[in-house]
Amino acid sequence: MVKLEFHDPSGALEITQPHAARLASLKGKRIGFVSNEQWQAYRMLPMVKEMLEADFPDITVLPIDAYPQGNALIGEEDTARQVQMSGVDAVIVGNAA
Amino acid sequence: MKNAVSGIGLAPDAAMVTFPVNMFLPGSDINPVRERIREIYNGLTLWKSEFAQASGAAKMITVEAPTYEQALDKANNLYLTSLWGDGLPLRPATKERVDWVLQGSTLPRTHVLGKFPPRGGITTVETCAIALAMAGGRPEYLPVLLAAVEACLAAEGFDQLQATSGGPFPAVIVNGPIAKQIRLNSGFGLLGPDPQRPAGASIGRALRLIQQNVGGALPGVGTMAIFGAMRYTNAVFAEDEDNLPPGWQPHATQRHGYAPGTNSVSVVFASGVSNVRRRGAKKETPEEDALNGMWRMADFMRTPNLAVLHGWEKGTPGIMMIAPIVAKQMAKIGWTQQSIREFLWENSKIPMAQLRRAGAPAWFEIDTNPKVRESIALDPWPICMKPDNIVLVVAGGGHPTHSYWLQAHSSPTVPGRVIRVPETFERLLADADRDLGCGDDVCRI
Repeated sequence: MVKLEFHDPSGALEITQPHAARLASLKGKRIGFVSNEQWQAYRMLPMVKEMLEADFPDITVLPIDAYPQGNALIGEEDTARQVQMSGVDAVIVGNAA
Repeated sequence: MKNAVSGIGLAPDAAMVTFPVNMFLPGSDINPVRERIREIYNGLTLWKSEFAQASGAAKMITVEAPTYEQALDKANNLYLTSLWGDGLPLRPATKERVDWVLQGSTLPRTHVLGKFPPRGGITTVETCAIALAMAGGRPEYLPVLLAAVEACLAAEGFDQLQATSGGPFPAVIVNGPIAKQIRLNSGFGLLGPDPQRPAGASIGRALRLIQQNVGGALPGVGTMAIFGAMRYTNAVFAEDEDNLPPGWQPHATQRHGYAPGTNSVSVVFASGVSNVRRRGAKKETPEEDALNGMWRMADFMRTPNLAVLHGWEKGTPGIMMIAPIVAKQMAKIGWTQQSIREFLWENSKIPMAQLRRAGAPAWFEIDTNPKVRESIALDPWPICMKPDNIVLVVAGGGHPTHSYWLQAHSSPTVPGRVIRVPETFERLLADADRDLGCGDDVCRI
């Protein structure tokens, strides 16, 4: 038998931070949206907001424009700071395509 | 999205709800959001990452078969099924081959160049040598590849360039004596293929493999390049410095300030090429021939290429390649690099009415750069902020008929890097002469 041994070309990955912990429930929670304002986000995210408010009457859902919007701004440190300062329990990010 | 999250150091998965792309188009039916709202709720509450730890160091893989041919087939099949191939045959990156390629590095194999976006794969000198080995490369090519990788990693917005639907590809301009030394083409057919000057194909293919395998730029998943732009080998070529007209400077000197004779790379992210038939067909004088050709080049450049807005201030709208024989003829009648750029800049301006008709101002308005937003007041609108942004390169075969316009795609900057060669470089070049035949002025035709 001929044996060929060669390198995996994909390069190692380094996990430096955990994903955010999940919520036990959405009851009474405060939820925000980070929107890139593209790919129909301006229609879909309000629909999600409306449904959250209907399904969880004691929930607080911030307005879609509570934080800076648009691809150029949503990845900025300042946006992350605003999210943190707003005291939300979770954010929904959309839309990617 | 998985690339995007792993690129910032999270486990390579995320709580996502995905829909068919037609739901993201204007006027679409968005009711599927309503129907699947529970999945969004679950993403906030029940979702768990499937990746507990990092993938660890790159490992060795083994295939076995009764004959060498069959083992090679198995290796190539494995490259494809693991999503590491490009559809063309590859050379397995064996320890022996990778160690040979690594002779071209001045840096230790474990030296980290950076994390390749968007996936964030750790990119070491060895990672590059593995890709170059797979792409059929040689050790003397490695210094150029390493500099090109460094330049890409330094490029502003490189994570987006890797992932965008526009399908940009790195166009790597090499200056300095290394180009001829390693058989990198600057003449006829410089964008390949060329059996006498194969360096550009191997280096560019290796860079593409790194983009895909380490950076995660897989079609339709990690790179949303709608058309793909024939990106098998990117574009790696040399400027024909030997044939620059008197007084003209190499591209790397003009753009990056490197002293003439410095080995360097300069990277523009291009999205396509247009051939410009510039020569006259009748009894033009040299002056008419030059001017007619310049107008045709400007006409090709005068397009509402909105993808290039990010590079409007400091990047480039593209690379204009003119053949050495044309450059010399134009220089003889008084054209300079500066006057060519100024002509092209002035005459590629677009009337604002045309841009408004095409809905372009919306893209200006959402740009983060205030200078781009303010440029909407310019009428006609210049395709870049200043003439110097246009990359002008003297390269191509000794023939006067055509110029070549490589249109850029969102190149916010044009990064450059000096190429470092090992002390043993002369020996590597001698080995190449032994393996590939005659030296830097190779031509057997």
